[in-house]
Amino acid sequence: MRRFDDSSAVKSSRRTRRHFPYYLALAFLVAASFAALMTRPAVVHGSALATDPGPRPLPADAGAFYSNLSSNQNAITTRLTQIFTEVNFVAGGPLVKTVGLGPRFNSNSCSSCHAYPAVGGSSPPNNPLFGIYQLMGATNTMPYFITQTGPILVARFPYQSDGVTPDGGVHQMFTISNRTDAPGCTAMVQPDFTGAQQNNNIIFRQPTPTYGDGLMELIQESDIINNMNSNLPLKQSLGISGHPNYSDDDGTISRFGWKAQNKSLIYFSGEAYTVEEGVSDEAFPSENDESIASCLPPFPVPPGTNKTKGVPDDRNDTGEAPKLPVNFPGDLERFSLFMRFLEPPVPVPPTTSTANGLVQFNAIGCNLCHNDSFTTPKSSIAALSQVQANLYSDLLVHDMGPGDADNVTQGNATGDQFRTAPLWGIGQRYFFMHDGRTSDIVQAIEDHYSLGNGTYPNSEANGVITNFNNLSQQNQQDLVNFLRSL
Amino acid sequence: MSLSGKNNLDQVKSNSWKWLRVILPIALLLAIYTVATAYFPKGAKTAQRTTPATSARENVVKPPSVTATDPGPRPLPANAGNFLSSLSANEQQIEPSITTEFNRTHDVLVTSPTDGGLGPRFNSNSCANCHAYPAAGGSSPPNNPLFSVYNYNGASNTMPFFETATGPILEARFINQPGTTIPDGTVHQNFVITGRTDASGCNIAQPDFNTAQSDNNLVLRQVPPTYGDGLIEVVRNSDIINNMNANQTIKQQLGITGHPNYSGNDGSIQRFGWKAQVRSTLLMASQQMNVEMGVTNEVFPNEIDQTPGCVLNPVPETVTNFTPKILTEMFPGDYSRVEYFTQWLSPPAPAKSTTSTSNGKTQFTNAGCVYCHTTSFKTPATSRPALGNITINLYSDLLVHHMGPGLADGLAQGQAGPDEFRTAPLWGIGQRLWFMHDGRTNNIVTAIEDHYSLGNSSYPASEANQAVTNFNNLSSKNQQDLVNFLRSL
Repeated sequence: MRRFDDSSAVKSSRRTRRHFPYYLALAFLVAASFAALMTRPAVVHGSALATDPGPRPLPADAGAFYSNLSSNQNAITTRLTQIFTEVNFVAGGPLVKTVGLGPRFNSNSCSSCHAYPAVGGSSPPNNPLFGIYQLMGATNTMPYFITQTGPILVARFPYQSDGVTPDGGVHQMFTISNRTDAPGCTAMVQPDFTGAQQNNNIIFRQPTPTYGDGLMELIQESDIINNMNSNLPLKQSLGISGHPNYSDDDGTISRFGWKAQNKSLIYFSGEAYTVEEGVSDEAFPSENDESIASCLPPFPVPPGTNKTKGVPDDRNDTGEAPKLPVNFPGDLERFSLFMRFLEPPVPVPPTTSTANGLVQFNAIGCNLCHNDSFTTPKSSIAALSQVQANLYSDLLVHDMGPGDADNVTQGNATGDQFRTAPLWGIGQRYFFMHDGRTSDIVQAIEDHYSLGNGTYPNSEANGVITNFNNLSQQNQQDLVNFLRSL
Repeated sequence: MSLSGKNNLDQVKSNSWKWLRVILPIALLLAIYTVATAYFPKGAKTAQRTTPATSARENVVKPPSVTATDPGPRPLPANAGNFLSSLSANEQQIEPSITTEFNRTHDVLVTSPTDGGLGPRFNSNSCANCHAYPAAGGSSPPNNPLFSVYNYNGASNTMPFFETATGPILEARFINQPGTTIPDGTVHQNFVITGRTDASGCNIAQPDFNTAQSDNNLVLRQVPPTYGDGLIEVVRNSDIINNMNANQTIKQQLGITGHPNYSGNDGSIQRFGWKAQVRSTLLMASQQMNVEMGVTNEVFPNEIDQTPGCVLNPVPETVTNFTPKILTEMFPGDYSRVEYFTQWLSPPAPAKSTTSTSNGKTQFTNAGCVYCHTTSFKTPATSRPALGNITINLYSDLLVHHMGPGLADGLAQGQAGPDEFRTAPLWGIGQRLWFMHDGRTNNIVTAIEDHYSLGNSSYPASEANQAVTNFNNLSSKNQQDLVNFLRSL
């Protein structure tokens, strides 16, 4: 609605006359939307009549670097991609450059999980973990929740073994036991995922795409707060509140991860490197399991082969091998720069259907959380400066009800609260929701609906989903088509 | 034979017990006399202490007497502040660059990609300004440097009431958001750039510290030293846990528990800050740049206050230098340089041991101090060889402990509760001027006594109570030797 008001507020009367039928239609639409709002709460839930056209086919509409990077920035992008896609070994031959995997890990490179539709994205159609879990002789078994055509998932245990004390940490799927590049490490066992499931103590998260993250990290706090405080009557009538997840470190709003628990790309890279790959780094310099000495560096590999000398496995190269521009600082800096320099996914040009879909998206209130855009402030990186980021997120966390709740608290995001997932790039996405529970985008919409129970309140999306279900089949389908155009 | 022998033994035992029944009352009288004379010393200069009234619920004996005096900080030259001598030639090559960065005075406007960035809110304008004594990287100097910072360049700040010209540098945190019961806990910077000639157009006010004080909402923290931090950050979690689980019997007798403050990110044990709330020198350096100086960086790229007119630079204000003229400039943002400065400094060198200090170290163990102030850890193999396989005598278990209502500051950070603090490493304490998280004393004997605090309805008793009681029960000489030992570190 705001979109239309902005673009047509002050126009000539002639043009107004010419466009009169359209305005009539629009007025009707708005009226219909309000009628839809008024009918909340829905008596009947689940009358979704749309179907998901499925992900748009390749080629990828994402994964390119900004075209306006400086020449010096541009000069290192090849190297950045190389680092993001490099496969980590525990230790290895002279040709193996990147070492430090494990002792526990979920995968062995960033791009194996951040893969689709291009490097930097999310889960690909075929699960890459099947090509990784027994690599180099590792004796891992595949956890029950990983399937050939399902999403890549990481497991967290909400509680420790007593079932009461909060845990919430990632329990890596795999270990380096018996890998030929980890000589001597044989005794580290995988977590008991089946037992955790039997105790109802396991939750999953899928990889988040990283396109456009450089813009997201620069969005001003004040803009996030102003947006939070806008349209309050409408938000209240729909049951939408939401709040930021603040960094414990500097008190500013953190933005990355399913619960907006990570402040910045360096923080995120630093965490992911050690948590997902077991490569300790300068932000988090510990190996992720220190209980078995033979599974810790340095490994007794033959002289001349590449190995990590100790913790942290990865660090900045402070002049040991000075070569410009290859000798850039450590991997986590390079990961950050890689993600920072990736432009947002490019939506397809609007059609009649997707244009109406956007109208419906706004009319039923999706945009009150999936806020269409923020503009970045002036940035010291020109490509990121004063750019309108059409991310479709308010970067706040919201109560999503028992249906989505994963019982893990992270910072100010409690067990049923999640960050409004940015929707840019969703047109080529395969799996939806934090745990990748569905590949059907209509189902994903419906999964936003959840009635409260004794533990958690209603999902803040309930009013909006009810509105969606009350749309005509055409409008529902247009809205879905709009999402698949992003 | 064995039977009769046992009977004889019993006979002997019985005889000696009779003896004891005579001697014990005499010994008891003697002990009471000794304690009484110690407790009412004749003109001896004793440390001020602020022990709360004895509670009937406590079975800890009220500590009776402190006779030791603080010899005061060892004089300069500094026994700290050097880089590790084992750094490689290449690492040494960038020592000047990282030292420059640590000492750099930040103004508001960014004039190059690696400069400026102060504010809009700040506590000081350089790292070395606060991390100053006994050498760059340390803690508060004798004369509070903020008095030459707060009005610098035309800034219209007033000095908060808690800063004094010869007191410790303090930063303020609010327990709750002002005027509410919503938990806060963040740093509220002392100063703003308002009025500075390089910040025209910015008009924001300093926090209202007086109201925060009268609302009991103000928490103060002083500056921890950074020497040896590169070694602390690589200590294995498993070694910290093993040490935590060691000596359980005696710890239980002393009332000592303690636990780690785990990172919410990777589940490893955090080590830095008064509540062990920060994991690494990288995260500490980058966080501090934004929180203490307002210099946004790649880890913390958002200004803390975004009032229009006060965000005067593109963000982040320090970034990776993509156009290095020489190879040693090829760092990412300045935060990495600060990281390396703090990571590569040697631990403070203790003074040579004397008869007194070596007995003091024994007493330190006997009194139980050592069960939190763990003598040493050994670093594992590290990718930067200068930091690896070194025994570090930090005198900390890197755990957080209940310290009672007397020290509680009402702020929880991660798993560190409002009355819990990290065991402060004692290395370098011989030249330290201020003690405890809020710099409440410059007398190291008072600092020992400040570890004692009886519980109340909000917080349990300090875990240090028995150790402090043991200290107080030491002879005057042993107490003094222990204090001398601390001042030798």
